[in-house]
Amino acid sequence: MISIQREDVDIGRLIHHAKQRGVGALVVFDGIVRDDDILELELEAYQDIAQKELEQIAHDARERFHLLSVDIIHRIGRLSVGENILIIIVSAGHRKEAYEGSRFILESIKSKVPIWKKELCRNGDRWVPGKRPSDTG
Amino acid sequence: MKITIKFFARFRERFGNEIVIEATERTTLGDLVRQVAMRDREGYDAIFDSKGAFRTYVIIMQNGRRTEHGEAEHTPVIEGDVIAIFPPVAGG
Repeated sequence: MISIQREDVDIGRLIHHAKQRGVGALVVFDGIVRDDDILELELEAYQDIAQKELEQIAHDARERFHLLSVDIIHRIGRLSVGENILIIIVSAGHRKEAYEGSRFILESIKSKVPIWKKELCRNGDRWVPGKRPSDTG
Repeated sequence: MKITIKFFARFRERFGNEIVIEATERTTLGDLVRQVAMRDREGYDAIFDSKGAFRTYVIIMQNGRRTEHGEAEHTPVIEGDVIAIFPPVAGG
């Protein structure tokens, strides 16, 4: 499942489906809204392009790290502290590929997928500084 | 010819989600964005520097493909083009 959506997702169900024949390791990344003295986080996406880029990242990760399955769910809209923002679930034959594949997907999303975050605070709103594709780190 | 320019994040707050504009032949992508951006001084200053060049952090897409700033200044727009202008991404 590769999706940009407002709704939350059942992580347990995704894990269940990811446990297929040949899987020896499964890594779940769950990015959540941190309590940085904010009221809410508002996310927006260039949805058509972001969806295509997530699909390309998933494809590249599968090839490069021999992943057996990839799920990426990136949420948009207004999210409260503690809510899920980004869920990445990868499965592989071994832990090394699963860990590295998950990290590759996360860093690729952060560096190039057109999604933005705005922190809604008591004393005003602020856009979270982003990255250009050429930025490193 | 009709060209659509989409704006995202803080640029969207200045110009709205998208603007459809009539462009003449041989208008470059850069000139078209400059023309539209002049509708809002603060928005213009967020996208262009004092010399009228795209600020380094501005990301440009033409029909879903990223376009370098230099290329945007030389690439003519064509009927039906969808241009997207946005600040650095911050997903994840």
